[in-house]
Amino acid sequence: MNRLEKALAVVAFTLWSAMLVGVGYAGHMLLDPAEARIVQVRGGNTLPLLDEAWGYVRAHFIGTVPSNTLRNYGAIRGALATLNDPYTTFIEPQPRAIERDHMRGQFGGIGVSFRQNEQGEFILTPNPDGPAAKMGVREGDILFSVDGYVLPPAADFEVVARIRGPVGTPVTIEVLRGPSRQRLSFTIVRQLIEINSVTWRMITSTVDGRPFLIGYLKISTFTERSGAEVQRAVARLTEAGAQAYLIDLRDNGGGALSAAVEASSVFLRDGVVAFEVRRSHPGIEHRVRSVPVRVSEHQPIVVLVNGNTASAAEIMAAALRDHRRGQLVGSKTFGKGSVQLIFELSDGSAVRVTAAKWLTPARHALDGAGLVPDVEVDGSPAEQEAQAVEVLRLAATKRAAMSR
Amino acid sequence: MQTSFVKHQAKWIVALGILGVFVSALVFIIGIAVGVAFARPGGLLDAGASPFAVSPSIAANPAAVNDTTAEQGRQPSLNYALINDVLRRLRTQWYGEMPSSAQLTDGAIKGMVAALGDEFTQYIEPRFARLLNDDISGVFEGIGATLRQTPSGGVQIVRTFPGSPAERGGVLPGDIIEAVNGMSTQGLNTIEVAALVRGPRGSEVTLTLRRAGRVRPFDITLVRERIEIPLVSSRMVGDGAIAYVSLFDFSQPASRQLEKHLKELLDKRPSALIFDLRDNPGGLLSQAQEVGDIFLKQGVLVIERDYRGNKKVTRTTDRGIAQDIPMVVLVNSGSASAAEIVAGAMQDRGRAVLIGERTFGKGSVQSPQTLSNGGQLRITIERWYTPNDRAIHGTGITPDYIVNNTPEDLREGKDPQLEAAIAFLTTGKTPPPTPFPTVEPTPRP
Repeated sequence: MNRLEKALAVVAFTLWSAMLVGVGYAGHMLLDPAEARIVQVRGGNTLPLLDEAWGYVRAHFIGTVPSNTLRNYGAIRGALATLNDPYTTFIEPQPRAIERDHMRGQFGGIGVSFRQNEQGEFILTPNPDGPAAKMGVREGDILFSVDGYVLPPAADFEVVARIRGPVGTPVTIEVLRGPSRQRLSFTIVRQLIEINSVTWRMITSTVDGRPFLIGYLKISTFTERSGAEVQRAVARLTEAGAQAYLIDLRDNGGGALSAAVEASSVFLRDGVVAFEVRRSHPGIEHRVRSVPVRVSEHQPIVVLVNGNTASAAEIMAAALRDHRRGQLVGSKTFGKGSVQLIFELSDGSAVRVTAAKWLTPARHALDGAGLVPDVEVDGSPAEQEAQAVEVLRLAATKRAAMSR
Repeated sequence: MQTSFVKHQAKWIVALGILGVFVSALVFIIGIAVGVAFARPGGLLDAGASPFAVSPSIAANPAAVNDTTAEQGRQPSLNYALINDVLRRLRTQWYGEMPSSAQLTDGAIKGMVAALGDEFTQYIEPRFARLLNDDISGVFEGIGATLRQTPSGGVQIVRTFPGSPAERGGVLPGDIIEAVNGMSTQGLNTIEVAALVRGPRGSEVTLTLRRAGRVRPFDITLVRERIEIPLVSSRMVGDGAIAYVSLFDFSQPASRQLEKHLKELLDKRPSALIFDLRDNPGGLLSQAQEVGDIFLKQGVLVIERDYRGNKKVTRTTDRGIAQDIPMVVLVNSGSASAAEIVAGAMQDRGRAVLIGERTFGKGSVQSPQTLSNGGQLRITIERWYTPNDRAIHGTGITPDYIVNNTPEDLREGKDPQLEAAIAFLTTGKTPPPTPFPTVEPTPRP
């Protein structure tokens, strides 16, 4: 080959390579149709309206222009608002962190609760035996700073988010104590704090002159630990001879659905706890089955409900009733049968999306309707409870009469 | 020799061919990589039906012509990745029907604008922007009512005009408009709702209203009319000794008509004057100046500060016909904008005593910008301050003597505010002070 041929070969090869690069560039669009559409949108000459609008705001607005983060959050909130679904919402990182802790039912903390006074100051109440109490924090101390950060008033999410952290790590808080507002500093190592969602006790009543033991179980919310908590409580109560159960779901606004399924399973034979309907598969009802954790299969049950009994709590109440395991006593429930999925976003914020509707085992829709109790009692909480005990006693009396 | 050469050459060609294939494959992959990399700067992970699926680099930003150009260049763009992530979740998971891209974009712009925390900076969706004519006062013809935004985002009736279709049809102040002709007002602002309510004279409009004390929303159907309300009304009060004049708004002929009425009143030699600016929603700044001229001598009327930090002082001239007569200005929570300028200047300069309720607190100017989609962005560009440099915006003007008119007063045709003004001007009797809320003494150490 002479020089000319070599030069021609090089030129030909270069052209060949350039063509391949071009084909490759075009090829990536075939691989990813979404990318192809961008080009289409560009061709369609659609302007990025959000940036266009914000350009005007930045140029002309007289007040302080909020940070880019707040602007992003605003845009997301605004887009979600067009759905007209009060349950599809955006959650900023700090509230999301607190919600996550709540769902898990545990977090790294120092064992204090707080309330705000009129000046927006945070008045602490340390849990007895909690890490903060052990280090000397007292009831009535006013929180002043967390790790050197002086708290602005009315920043409750921020306070919680700053105090919480990984178990075993230290946090330094300053408090103001007493009328002289003496400033004291405490360094406290965060420990595992568990949210107890279930409280229980035995109610002793009588049927035909003989003692009648009712296991009382209050589930205040559904965390991921609630299922296990219910299981443990029912095991103890059964051991102690509970002949019936009173499950108090009043003011339980819901929470983790899996926990409600587990808690229901404690009282149900194998079966459907609920049906799930998704938009992507209209007409198809997914069975949500109970899990094998049965502890109490035959003791009669009364479920106490009220207008604040919502979502996961309604699903549990309906499951027990539809399987003829229990009766509902109290007032009509809230009526929220939609299920939200939570998607965490890259910066720690999250979006809650209504993704499904749940139907009760008897295929009643909960959404907007609520459950009407078998025995309606609109009186005080104590009256409702007394009526619930009465319903259980009556059932036991009937059973006793039949067995005689 | 010949065969070995051929063999050798064949091997060489095969080797070259294999190498060529490898290089070609490599270059092809580079091509794909380049393509992907260059399409990414917008950060668009999933452009499916995204309304935001455009690289921000081509933002033809019309605002970038002024002195902020450099800053615009550095401005970080929206986090499209975050927003698109949300939209992707919605498209795959949301139970309901997805709104159109245009609706999502409109919502996102409204949400972004809401982050400014200024209720007067508003985005008007294209479909409403088209219906809008320039109505600066917020009063609209059609049913004869004024609207405001509630803190929770609803649109509420503030006032119905006497004899208007709204008043005759039974619409009450405080009613929340849930729908207009069956179209939900969810997510709409006052200007957008007003655009829906308006229409040709003689045509019907049905409002779905929610009212305190009624469980369910209900419908009222009204026939639109041309609302004619006298701009100025005047009479003699206090046994004919005191002149009373009220101004409805600060539209174009306001000062001329006011002056005409005042001339007639002053001919009757009143001892004092009551100027009623209650429920006056404001209007033109030039009219505020001319009205101020009637009552005030030379001096500052209002200070304007704009987004560039410029300060502009508007002064009154010394040519008014009612500069010395003792005077009370009546204000209430419906007195806004230009009405607050005039009332604030009279108070600061000791020209009049203010009686009534704290004013609305709208001391700002909005400038409308039309976006490329036909939507309109009304941005607060200026704020007003009284001659003593008190901000009108947000706080409003607090009268010298607070007197409230209750809804019962309204129903019974009573007007304690006007009575207090007459009493003050005839006998010098000041209204009783409004009781302060009881405050616990601060414990001393």
